[in-house]
Amino acid sequence: MAAAALSAWLTLQPGTRTLRAFCTSVSPATRSAIPSPPDRRPRYERPLRRKALPPRTEKMTLDQDWPSVYPVAAPFKPSAVPLPIRMGYPIKRGVPMAKEGNLELLKIPNFLHLTPVAIKKHCEALKDFCTEWPAALDSDEKCEKHFPIEVDTTDYVSAGPSIRNPKARVVTLRVKLSSLNLDDHAKKKLIKLVGERYCKTTDVLTIKTDRCPLKRQNYDYALYLLTVLYHESWKTEEWEKDKTEADMEEYVWNNSSSEKNILETLLQMKAAEKNLEVNKEELLATKEVEEYKKSVVSLKNEGDNENTLSQYKESVKKLLNLM
Amino acid sequence: MLKRVTRLVPRACQLDPGHFLHGGPQAPQSLAARLDDQVPDENPRAGSHPSEDDPAGAGEQREGRHYRIPLQDLPTVFPHGLPRRFSLQVRTFNEACLMVRRPALELLRHLDDTNFAHPAVRYVLYGEKGTGKTLSLCHVVHFCAKRDWLIVHVPDAHLWVKSSRGLLRSAYSRRRFDQPVEAANWLKSFKTANERFLSQIKIQETYMWNKRESTEKGRPLGEVVEQGLTRVKNATDAVGIVLKELKSQSCSGAFRLLVAVDGVNALWGRTTLKREDKSLMAPEELALVHSLRKMVRNDWHGGAVVLALSQTGSLFTPRMACLPQELLGKEGFDALDPFVPILVSNYSPEEFESCIQYYLENSWLQHEKAHTEEGKKELLFLSDANPGQLERLCAYL
Repeated sequence: MAAAALSAWLTLQPGTRTLRAFCTSVSPATRSAIPSPPDRRPRYERPLRRKALPPRTEKMTLDQDWPSVYPVAAPFKPSAVPLPIRMGYPIKRGVPMAKEGNLELLKIPNFLHLTPVAIKKHCEALKDFCTEWPAALDSDEKCEKHFPIEVDTTDYVSAGPSIRNPKARVVTLRVKLSSLNLDDHAKKKLIKLVGERYCKTTDVLTIKTDRCPLKRQNYDYALYLLTVLYHESWKTEEWEKDKTEADMEEYVWNNSSSEKNILETLLQMKAAEKNLEVNKEELLATKEVEEYKKSVVSLKNEGDNENTLSQYKESVKKLLNLM
Repeated sequence: MLKRVTRLVPRACQLDPGHFLHGGPQAPQSLAARLDDQVPDENPRAGSHPSEDDPAGAGEQREGRHYRIPLQDLPTVFPHGLPRRFSLQVRTFNEACLMVRRPALELLRHLDDTNFAHPAVRYVLYGEKGTGKTLSLCHVVHFCAKRDWLIVHVPDAHLWVKSSRGLLRSAYSRRRFDQPVEAANWLKSFKTANERFLSQIKIQETYMWNKRESTEKGRPLGEVVEQGLTRVKNATDAVGIVLKELKSQSCSGAFRLLVAVDGVNALWGRTTLKREDKSLMAPEELALVHSLRKMVRNDWHGGAVVLALSQTGSLFTPRMACLPQELLGKEGFDALDPFVPILVSNYSPEEFESCIQYYLENSWLQHEKAHTEEGKKELLFLSDANPGQLERLCAYL
């Protein structure tokens, strides 16, 4: 009824050239094409047509109980939502469409049933089913220290013929590697074994399992994987000593070609100064060589940038006495 | 100093153009004369005017100023020619003027203080495209030539790994390949550049070219070069011998050796040369590259090694790569380590001003707005103070 009144109002407007589509529309064309036959009953017998009531929004007070207007997820009712919302693409020299009869507002999901007040009420109702949070765990660090492994599972509830949902079997296990007892070799081996599942910035290993049909089985499998990874990374196989420089995760100075070069250079310099009684360890332990080593390691690991290059330049100049 | 120069320029332009162009070679002197009138106590060579011919100077005051290389030096010091655009400029202006810039000054200071008993220090010039690495290298080469060093100058190592015809299997080592044409060209330039040393240096071993020809021990190095030039097939081996002899004899102190290589990243990059079975060659398989790699190692003393990286002309490297590790790769970096990296950057404001002044003095900028402040700001914006870009822009004005 509101739609019909609106369409009549729009056609009266001089500016509008287009009529928008309405969900419940009785276009004037159809109405005029098929005229209804005249009703010959007396007026008191004809069915009484109720007048359009004013929308509910006019009767709403400012401090009303909103969760009772929208207790569950419901489609958008323009007469029940007191907000002057506009949505839609405006025509030229116009504004987006108003909320009455607006299909766009109906299409999108709304969260009018989940206002903070409503959520608070839900939580209050759920409190009866909860237990107390342990008082000793009052900070994030303590939680991590005592419970380093976090397991995420999801349960799905829906109204339908069956309560099963295949998505409910997914189990995600997250653990920080710093809380595991790993030495340098074990950590590198573990990271190589898991590959993509390790995040370097947050130091978190994520194992997501869904290969078993039940959640319980997937949880057991995830724990088993963690155990196996841990024990395997502590073992050293014999083929691991064939690890070449290309396999290394980061640049290692000892036994590198850079070390050999600098050693040779320094030995030649000392030989030129007729200073033959130096030995290699002494040469490598000087402050300049330490600085040079640091600059080369940062250059190789971080790549070229102004900082690393200028550091390298300074250290080389000091080493070769070019200052 | 700079303010006075800018005030002078409008005054110079009040002369009618005919007068200015007429007194071409005299115009700079008239400018200098004006400066003399104005400021009798200051150094008369202010701004960008080409001053002494000595490449080394009084240090930082000379930064931003041009210095002139006498034209008769050019064929001997740079026999394979300077970079193409610069040689065009030399021909146009009839004088070769290089700007003295901070990286070159730093290098020259280090070279002056070189301790010839220590192993050769390697300096690597790196920077973005068009910032002046090659010309800084040429500046250093001229400096060392003036100081009577022996120069081993490879103008562009990329040419040795690119399209090269006439690859032969090396007679010396079955695994490697010779490049007679490139080797012969280089020997010719080497001979022109270092005539006077070729008769002084004596080789220390006998080299057998083939069953009939050989060069005995104690003969001058010039004979090896001649052999390479006459018998082009042996040219690559001749190059290898020359480099080996120079390296071993520079330790004796008879001469100072400067090894200057441009585009050194070609030695550790990839080639586009194919073997007989159409597979690509690695650079190690080229005898020239092999001998040059041995040359830039620091196991000799009595000189210095100055290298410049270059992305233009390099194969299989991205266009924006300009930093040492990107261009040299892991192998190159490990081979050159430890080296002194020297950054060559765009013009500073003073250098930019000086460059514009130089162009204006040589009447290279004919546009009427070229000498105004807005014109200069526009040029600065368009070229971003990049020397190569600025030179290309000014060519249109």
